[in-house]
Amino acid sequence: MQSDQPTAGGPDGTDAPRSRGWLASPAERERRLEETGTEPDPRFSWANERTFLAWNRTALALIAAGLAAAQFLHLNPHGLRLIVAVPLIVLGGVLALASYVHWEDSERAIRLQQPLHYSWMPRVLAGGIVIIALCGGILAIVDRIVH
Amino acid sequence: MTPTGGHGGASSDTGRFDPGLARDRTALAWTRSALGMLAIGTLIARAATEADLNGIAVIVAIATLAVGLLTWRQGNALYRERAVDSSEPHHQPGALGFLMSVTLLIAAVALVVTVVL
Repeated sequence: MQSDQPTAGGPDGTDAPRSRGWLASPAERERRLEETGTEPDPRFSWANERTFLAWNRTALALIAAGLAAAQFLHLNPHGLRLIVAVPLIVLGGVLALASYVHWEDSERAIRLQQPLHYSWMPRVLAGGIVIIALCGGILAIVDRIVH
Repeated sequence: MTPTGGHGGASSDTGRFDPGLARDRTALAWTRSALGMLAIGTLIARAATEADLNGIAVIVAIATLAVGLLTWRQGNALYRERAVDSSEPHHQPGALGFLMSVTLLIAAVALVVTVVL
């Protein structure tokens, strides 16, 4: 679907007539992305790829932390540990999805030589960890006082 | 905007000349991701066993082992391209999306195991 204007200057390099943007499989989306704009210096793409991989590992670490909380927290009403475990796992899932969207967004910007966008992910990660840590701390203290 | 490679030019020839070792770092990042995948697989399998979900434990163990190996291969393929000396960026369409989908799946299974546990 590449018209022969080599430096697709307009921002509509990808999504002009394509309808099912969000339903397309990742492979399809990424193939389409490769037709957008011009081939950048590979190091830019690799840096973007490493950033995605780092976020993905962060997501995996959050999920792992949630699993650990579920197994090793012994709070008295047994369900209480879910207050810590579930948000950690959900945060991991959200970041996994968001990091992919952010990777796509950045890759498109790189190929179209447009400025990159900041992501809301660091803010959500930091805020999420603070809130979950507070919950965990309060739970631990209350548990100690009550029993 | 294009980073020049120290010798001041010919920076597209990353296959041979790569002063920042960007390719190596990317290959290593894939390897770390593969290790992470194996680690989380072990954790989920263990938690599932503890929650008496032995079927899920076996499936998760096998699946994450497979995905871990695939991820490891991705990094290795990237590294081996150095010899081929192609300036083409390595792109397996769908590899990142695949990793993302697997991670979402892992989160879902972890959620189920956590609630049952």
